[in-house]
Amino acid sequence: MARKASPARLVIALSVAAVLAVFLLYTSIAGGGNPSIAPSALQGRTGDVQLAGRVVGPVSGDAHSGGLRFRLEDIGGTARSRVAVRYTGSVPDLFKAGRHIVIDGRLRNGVFVAEPGSMITKCPSKYAPKQSGDSV
Amino acid sequence: MPELGRAALVVTLGLAVYALLAGAAAARLGRRRLAQSAQNALIAAFFTTAIASVVLVAALLRHDFSFTYVARTTSEALPTPYTISAFWGGQEGSLLLWLLVLTGFGAAAVRLNRRWARDLIVWVVPVFAAVATFFSFLVVAVASPFVTQAAPPDGAGMTPSLQNPYMLAHPPLLYLGYVGLTVPFAFALGALLSGRLDERWLIATRRWTLFAWTALGIGQLLGAHWAYVEVGWGGYYAWDPVENAALMPWLVATAFLHSVMIQEKRGMLRVWNVLLVILAFSLSLFGTFLTRSGVVNSIHSFTQSSIGPWFLAFIGLTVAVSLALVFWRLPQLRSPTKLESPISREAAFLYNNLLLLALCLAILWGVVYPMLSEAIRGEAVVLGRSYYDFFLRAFGLPLLLLMGIGPLIAWRRASLRSLATTFRWPTLVGLGAGVVLLVLGAGSSLPGLVAYTFSAFVFATIVMEFVRGTRARKALGAASWPGAFSSLMARNRRRYGGYVVHASIVLLAIGVAGSSAFDSVAEAKLSQGQSLAISGYTLVYKSLDERQSANATEIRATLGVSRESDDLGTLEAGKNAYTIEEQVSNEVGIRSDKLTGEDLFVIAEQIYPDGSVIFRVFVKPLVNLIWLAGLVFLLGSLVTLWPDRREQRRLVARAGEVGLPATR
Amino acid sequence: MTIALLLAAALAVACVIVVALPFLSEPDPETDALDELDEDERRRLALLESRDRALSALKELEFDHRTGTITDDDYRGQVGRLRREAAAALQALGPDIRPQRVEAPDEQGRPMGGRT
Repeated sequence: MARKASPARLVIALSVAAVLAVFLLYTSIAGGGNPSIAPSALQGRTGDVQLAGRVVGPVSGDAHSGGLRFRLEDIGGTARSRVAVRYTGSVPDLFKAGRHIVIDGRLRNGVFVAEPGSMITKCPSKYAPKQSGDSV
Repeated sequence: MPELGRAALVVTLGLAVYALLAGAAAARLGRRRLAQSAQNALIAAFFTTAIASVVLVAALLRHDFSFTYVARTTSEALPTPYTISAFWGGQEGSLLLWLLVLTGFGAAAVRLNRRWARDLIVWVVPVFAAVATFFSFLVVAVASPFVTQAAPPDGAGMTPSLQNPYMLAHPPLLYLGYVGLTVPFAFALGALLSGRLDERWLIATRRWTLFAWTALGIGQLLGAHWAYVEVGWGGYYAWDPVENAALMPWLVATAFLHSVMIQEKRGMLRVWNVLLVILAFSLSLFGTFLTRSGVVNSIHSFTQSSIGPWFLAFIGLTVAVSLALVFWRLPQLRSPTKLESPISREAAFLYNNLLLLALCLAILWGVVYPMLSEAIRGEAVVLGRSYYDFFLRAFGLPLLLLMGIGPLIAWRRASLRSLATTFRWPTLVGLGAGVVLLVLGAGSSLPGLVAYTFSAFVFATIVMEFVRGTRARKALGAASWPGAFSSLMARNRRRYGGYVVHASIVLLAIGVAGSSAFDSVAEAKLSQGQSLAISGYTLVYKSLDERQSANATEIRATLGVSRESDDLGTLEAGKNAYTIEEQVSNEVGIRSDKLTGEDLFVIAEQIYPDGSVIFRVFVKPLVNLIWLAGLVFLLGSLVTLWPDRREQRRLVARAGEVGLPATR
Repeated sequence: MTIALLLAAALAVACVIVVALPFLSEPDPETDALDELDEDERRRLALLESRDRALSALKELEFDHRTGTITDDDYRGQVGRLRREAAAALQALGPDIRPQRVEAPDEQGRPMGGRT
């Protein structure tokens, strides 16, 4: 029995449209995410950002009272890029001076105040130093 | 010995290039002996890669620190199982493992199908060889595991959080999955190249795909379990780019496994299936790229090395060539069979595919968004957890519901009346469960409640199917109910094995919903003797102890746990300080309730010199259903994978009628 | 070091032999052409696939009906068409094949098609 145009095609097309509508719905409610920047780019920025950098000591304070204080500098950058950070919340195991971390928060009065619990440290296996005398 | 390893890999590269060129020439010109020679080269490549692997493992076991790789990933004090696991722990070794599994699977797939699909295999060999060429090139020229140095006295050791049984199994299983997807991909391209677009490529690869998909699924669950008990932040999935890298090909493979059934039953969706398998393989390569290139901020990043651009180029080449082939063969792929009704099993499978793909693309978008926004706007913008959670619910919940509907709808066209009859009972069960749960307080999270309700519905449909099937078999004359059940399973392995897998997904959904939508958390600084209350539990901080283990100092706080007036024993939580690696790791305390599947999860956040401790405590309802789901998933997959003698006979007979050799 | 190099050289030689094996074992074969399916055989394979598909659809319909997934009405609506499709597929395969069963194969699951 011949059909003019299969209704199934129409339904599939509508389904695809529904899926796309879900995407559009999300972007209209939630907007975009946080920009991920290096400490040297933090100067003058307001609003929530994600900082990605290297921890520079001395590390002082207590993350569960008063805040953990340390500085963050650009990965592969200089001392000029350093930013003071105050962090509260859970501190990941791998955290220490020299680690690369990612942290959310915003700049307030010259100090980057972190979103509690937002710190993520990177697995250190990438930091194997290249030894001199390697032969390929 | 590193020279042997290096030489073996160079020979592998040579064999792969030969298999590629000779195989392509043999297929094009129709030369039997050349084709056989190319096949031999592919098989030999497995053996040479195995030799290189043995060299590396031997060096690891010998603690031969003149191998830079060994020095970087192990130390003298490292226990033997973890020393062996260092094979895949670093960049170069993991690439070698990729190559080993690839050549192994290639050799096996080609050998098993060499006779009944000979005209297809001649083209599969060069495709496999092309992928093998890429990976062997990487381990020879870009990231060699056999770089040497002046041996230092001791190695750098392994990150403590990697030293546990889950990390022994997680990467190899993932590799079996990633690389396993190469098999259907190679056969699909082989079919396109040869023009042999009949079903043989599907039949030959069905079990491989299922195996790879299962390995990828179990590998991810193991990773999640590791994150839960070892990393111990209180969760099991962080939507980290590298976690997503394994999830995306798994989702596409799931879609593929379903749409393949439509092609088998109705001959439809041939173009779609080829595109799906190309996407799955490309995502598996892309996932490998993400893990290694350092392009995204992730806790898993292996290294910011030069390997990224090579991967990107290879992925680009693969996608371009594959799509060109599909376009070339499009006229032959098109099938005349049309979708008849939007309410049919075909349609349900299509909606399933659509949702799975939509979820996969949403995740992909989230992963590449930082890279794209950096390229376009100069600034990387990261999408957070809420983005992924939204789409998981938006697409995952309808998928869950569909899992109960799809298997019970008729092919081609289902009348609304039959739908009403079939779904009456499960719908009542679902609604009933929803009402009961609402009364019990599950209304606090709407997505959680919906997940529970849908799960009840799907579970009811699965039970119904098993009951009806067993009853039908009994009516046909089975001796007993257990006999009816086992013969039902034996004769319909794919269908009922599939139902078991669906049941595991239901368990997973319930576990995820319970532990993420209905969990509770409390944090307090306690001195000895003080207590903390959460969700009916009371925890009393009793004592703090310090002890020495082989490679670490362990500090543990002991807490007494009670609920109402029942004493539930003690729990320990604390930290380990590893001497050689100079790292501290969190050791969480978990108490799993056998009856309810609930976990009491304690983290000793901070330990002060005066003995007071900041504790962070979670109560995670139903979380253990997630791990149970893994076991059920494995069981279901095994049932489906099990060789089916009847099916074999049928295929052999069919091959015989066309003059193809009866044996594979 | 030299042992490693010797082993490596032996490995390379072994691989060359393995790769050359088809040529060494058959220096002068009758035919070197790949055994491929010709047009007729491929068409027959496609017909066999559609026959198996039709028969399996019929079997599945029976099974779903017996377990109660498909109502009597739906079954009656579909079974006629499926039987016709199966018959057509069998007919397309030509008269030279052995007689097949056109009615729905029962649950005993004797291999459908193929040699008896």
